[in-house]
Amino acid sequence: MESWINFAKGPLFSVALLTMVLGLARHVLLQTHALVTRKRRRLWLVPWRRVAAESLGWAVPIRHLIPGTIVISAASFLFHVGAVLVPLFLSDHVRMWEAFLGVSLPALGRNASDLMTLTTLGCIVVLLSYRVVIRRSRELSRPSDYVLLVMILLPFLSGYLAGHPGVNPLPWQTMMLIHVLSADVLMFIVPFTKLAHMVLFPFDRMSVVHWQLRPGAGDRVAEALYGKEARV
Amino acid sequence: MGTSAAMKDESSESNGFSCQYYIENGNIDNKAERFLKAFAAIIQYGDYKSLLDSYCNSSAKCSRCVVTCPIYQVSQDPKDIPCYRAGLLLDTYKRHFTIGGWLKSRVATPWELTDETVEEMAELFYRCTACRRCSLECPLGLDHGLITRLGRYILSMAGIAPKALQVSVREQLEGETHNTSKIPRPAFVDNVEFLAEEIEENLGVKLTFPIDEPDREYVFFCAVSDYLMEPDTLMGNAAVLYAAGDWDRWTIGSGNFDAINYGLFYNDWHLERIIRRLIGEVQRLRGGSILIGECGHASRTAHDFVPVFGDKEAFPVKSFIEYTLECLEKGKIRLDPDIVSERVTYHDPCNIARSKWIVEQPRQILKSFVKDFVEMTPGGHRNYCCGGGGGLVSMDETHEFRMTIAGQVKADQIRDTGADIVVAPCANCKKQLKELVEHHDLPCRVVGLHDLILDVIDIPGGKTARERHAVKVCALAS
Repeated sequence: MESWINFAKGPLFSVALLTMVLGLARHVLLQTHALVTRKRRRLWLVPWRRVAAESLGWAVPIRHLIPGTIVISAASFLFHVGAVLVPLFLSDHVRMWEAFLGVSLPALGRNASDLMTLTTLGCIVVLLSYRVVIRRSRELSRPSDYVLLVMILLPFLSGYLAGHPGVNPLPWQTMMLIHVLSADVLMFIVPFTKLAHMVLFPFDRMSVVHWQLRPGAGDRVAEALYGKEARV
Repeated sequence: MGTSAAMKDESSESNGFSCQYYIENGNIDNKAERFLKAFAAIIQYGDYKSLLDSYCNSSAKCSRCVVTCPIYQVSQDPKDIPCYRAGLLLDTYKRHFTIGGWLKSRVATPWELTDETVEEMAELFYRCTACRRCSLECPLGLDHGLITRLGRYILSMAGIAPKALQVSVREQLEGETHNTSKIPRPAFVDNVEFLAEEIEENLGVKLTFPIDEPDREYVFFCAVSDYLMEPDTLMGNAAVLYAAGDWDRWTIGSGNFDAINYGLFYNDWHLERIIRRLIGEVQRLRGGSILIGECGHASRTAHDFVPVFGDKEAFPVKSFIEYTLECLEKGKIRLDPDIVSERVTYHDPCNIARSKWIVEQPRQILKSFVKDFVEMTPGGHRNYCCGGGGGLVSMDETHEFRMTIAGQVKADQIRDTGADIVVAPCANCKKQLKELVEHHDLPCRVVGLHDLILDVIDIPGGKTARERHAVKVCALAS
């Protein structure tokens, strides 16, 4: 078992982390490259200050708690706080980052990280229930939307149980293996799923850039499809 | 309503599939194949790839957008959820234009675009009015207006486009008259002369409309419908220009006087060509800038796309509302505050309000002469669409949908204000709201902003607003 854990924490973790980092970097590079090479001078037409202000407004989404969205928005916001902070700043993780990458991050206190983990778990349950119970959300959801939530739930739940022997139903090592493996799998799939929004959201928010259409493109499309004499 | 239902049946029949609007040659074969071919060309030559990549890999389907969408709020049909509709296009892109999608189709779900999905897109992309209200509440900022437009663009390049829009654009770009209402130049000149006579009779000043005058500061374009159906809006524009002492600073170009640009609703190719014609007319007349009359989509297309497609040849673009406010603030015009006693509310056209471009200006103008001004809630950049946006109002066969579903929220909003007058500075919104007021039996009338200004503006050397008002009251009494 020990060797399995070490394998999951060692080579497997490296592969997963590298896949995630390179995959996300690829997204960012492709997006940036497209912006610079395709939009060019038209980038100056974009009201960047407004784009930045509106994006930053979502960091504290109080104003976006409009009727009909309060439960899902609050759950989603709290979920994101834990989902970002706990993997990075839990004290055990901080030690791991230091050993693995040589960077030292500030660590969360035990109580704070416990509270955040439990909140995140609670929020995942709320988000899952929302997709099941609320008709419009159910009809919009696809299998991957449920599966991804469960895949995020696993490392949080197993991590919490491994850290709290009093409530852990399984041997510590088994729980630890589940924790590390599920985290590895999750990191591995990030760039290939909607979880990539963790780096793509600034690009999503630049819709005003995409309204700067490409001059001459319409003519070329029409010619390619209907020849030089293309008519309306 | 009976007529609308009959029209809908007829449109379904002529299209060969269930769709609420007429399509030219709706019975085409191989829709999926044509769609994919058009999609491929648009990806190759346009700028949409990075947008699609980004949206595909981040659309979380959180369903928050439903609370903002006036269509879904009324229809409660899951197919009207913005993310569902966008999902059809994003799935198509993923499956047919990405390696991941291709791999997935080999390994797991063998999903492929079918004619039925194309038909579903043809229906759903025209149930969305592209008002972009949902983009305000999407945590990721996904702009479903862009996706709706792109879907419509691909459909139209594949040969599936609303007949009403196609016919207008064809006349504007390739017809003899070069305007969407097919007004020949002599009829246009007659029309303008008639307006001058009306102005002389009502305002007490003799004017000649400047046509094709070179080297003027402003070249004026408005929705061509203003010349035919909304002369009060146009006379209001003229009254402001005259009263402000700017009569020698503007002109209308007889080569191109129509600001309508349906390309914004469904086709980049048309959008750009219409913008180029606009720029060409200003160049021909050696004008200094573009002045756009009261029209939401026309103002937005000129304001947003003249710089994009004109690049170094771009002219400054000003909305007539901005111009009027400037005149008011500089004291160049006087609006009498004792004429309008009714309760007035203001409808924000999505195309100028969503980006926060024109929100406060019309309110400042209205509040300067209206005593009882009430807001619709929500308003401003968070406004609700009139229900006729995205070109729907030009497709008469969608009347029933626009009245009972798309416009329902707006009808309720108007009723709640208790207003006697709804001001809507947009040719499309006005047409939709007038139909809506009639359909829902709302106790109010719909006017343009400059229609109201025409009633309250003092004309130097002509009749004051009070004199004209007195005449009107006498006429009504007798």
